[in-house]
Amino acid sequence: MSSIVRARGLTKAFGAGSQQVWALRGVDLDVGAGEFLALVGPSGSGKTTLLNLLGALDAPTGGELLVLDRPVASLSKRERARLRLMSIGFVFQAYNLVPVLTARENVEFVLELQGMGGGRRGRAAEILRELGLGDLADRRINELSGGQQQRVAVARAVAARPAIVLADEPTANLDGENAETLMHLMRDLRDRHGMTFIFSTHDPRVVAHAVRVVTLVDGRVARDEPKPGEAPHEILSASGVLHAAPGG
Amino acid sequence: MAFVATRYAARTVGRNLRRTVLSIVGIAIGCVLALFMESLNRGKGELIARAGASGGVGHLRVVPEGWRERRDVRLRLADWQADLAAARAEPGVVLATSRARAQVLLAMGTHVVPVEMVGVEPALEPKTFRYVQAMAEGRYLRDGDPGGVVVGRAIADRLSAGVDDEIVATAMGKGGEIQSAMFRIVGIVATGSEDADATICQVARPDLERFLGVPGAGEVTIIVSDYRRIDAIRAALLPKLAPGDDVVTLSDLTPEIEGHLAQDAATARVISAIILLIVLLGVASAQLAAVLERRREFAVLSALGMSGTRMVRLIVEEALMLGVAGALVALAIGLPLVWRFARGGLDFGRYLGGSYSFAGVLLEPVIYGDFGWWIAPYVFVVSIAATTVASLYPAWYAARTDPAVALRVAQ
Repeated sequence: MSSIVRARGLTKAFGAGSQQVWALRGVDLDVGAGEFLALVGPSGSGKTTLLNLLGALDAPTGGELLVLDRPVASLSKRERARLRLMSIGFVFQAYNLVPVLTARENVEFVLELQGMGGGRRGRAAEILRELGLGDLADRRINELSGGQQQRVAVARAVAARPAIVLADEPTANLDGENAETLMHLMRDLRDRHGMTFIFSTHDPRVVAHAVRVVTLVDGRVARDEPKPGEAPHEILSASGVLHAAPGG
Repeated sequence: MAFVATRYAARTVGRNLRRTVLSIVGIAIGCVLALFMESLNRGKGELIARAGASGGVGHLRVVPEGWRERRDVRLRLADWQADLAAARAEPGVVLATSRARAQVLLAMGTHVVPVEMVGVEPALEPKTFRYVQAMAEGRYLRDGDPGGVVVGRAIADRLSAGVDDEIVATAMGKGGEIQSAMFRIVGIVATGSEDADATICQVARPDLERFLGVPGAGEVTIIVSDYRRIDAIRAALLPKLAPGDDVVTLSDLTPEIEGHLAQDAATARVISAIILLIVLLGVASAQLAAVLERRREFAVLSALGMSGTRMVRLIVEEALMLGVAGALVALAIGLPLVWRFARGGLDFGRYLGGSYSFAGVLLEPVIYGDFGWWIAPYVFVVSIAATTVASLYPAWYAARTDPAVALRVAQ
């Protein structure tokens, strides 16, 4: 399987001088196309920082990071924005949809940013149908439940068929049923469209769906289980996640 | 179908209705003030034209060769009758009348007053110099009534003369010799301006010719129907005049007034610019507050791949919508206001008296605003330009949003 993400000795520090804090202290990671990977670890372990680097939202302090064969460290802000627009989808913990737009418009907006022409309205409607939101396409965001909003966020992330979808704690604000539904949908999208999903989580229900679990501790990869033999709760307990507060 | 970005911009404008309404009202008030000042400035052009039409200056004047350089009142036209006929035949000319001038010394008893005596056509002069229609005493000059003179109240007072008194006029004749003649005061003019009254001394032009021994007219004063065509009529008339004679315009005749009004206009425009700058800062402040409130939203859009340029476009688009709304409100308020100003005018008479003279020209102290098709484009351009400029800094600020930092702060 070819790597679409390759990190070697990846570091990231915030602040300067005596105030400098190292969030990542040398991460080595390869992610292949079509993986369904969970990043777990206690708060402050560097999960969100790593996701931000993989999503080209931020530039690393040191080490090597190739995303779709592009060296993130040497890309300009404009080039990073272009890489995100064309190849990476994001799902946020707090959904972060545009509140003044409808569900369909939120999805369509990304396609418009990509420069897609006439077919974007149909594509947006199609992906919303695929995620069971066909009837809610013209509802404003504040008229949708949390679970529905997160599904719209997923629709927005995958509408342009990106190579990678990054999800930061996607089920943190959802109840059990909605979390299960969302994970099934994401797995289904992965299976049908071959996208790579990388998500950070504290949620055992999410870990249960992962095909590979990477555990971060103190900014380093502590465990990397391609096919975890342990139950999700055991993995999270071993990494200290189940005793820690969310965030990280 | 509108782009999603445009719908997004439009709905964002309506998101905080109170702030949007306040911004629009601010823009509208600024535009109305700027519109009023512009209308006033344009109205001053009409004020000069009115001074030309009724204050004795004329919109155009045919003058002898060399007059531009020397402004010597003793110069005479090469063929005043041909010039007068050509002027009267020119389309757009409402009235043309001949005049001659001389520097004279008026005396009565022991009192003397130096003055510029003007020889006029009695039947036409009141139509080009409406202040002589209002005689304080006596009557105006008549054709075929030789020896009469009309003077301003200030001259009569300095001579201690009244109607029917005889005064002696002394001037330099054709060959440089002193010439004298006796005139009888038939009327006294009071314009309301003492400065202007001190300059009025009119006789019939044939009387002046006889008195000086110099035949002919020194100028043909022309009134046109549309003052905006002064230059075009001048260009058309010039080749039809007697060789050597020239045509000067109202601007040439009253450069001091033109300069003074140009200075006024510049001051008014600076005031307008200051008003708009204050409005602009207010709008920029409101826009920046809106951007700061939506920092997380911009971070998400940036994370989704929206470029800085597109973000700037989005915010400028929002500003354009505010600008258009501000312009519409400004027109709703400004049109009736300027219409009223254009109809009724602003009367400065109570501060300046019935009339006001500047550089020897009588001006009616009422300014009428200009009302025309220029208003709508003017308001839209001012409003949209001001709001667009006001949006640039907030747009630049939004475009600089670092998605990783903003999302981290939001979390």
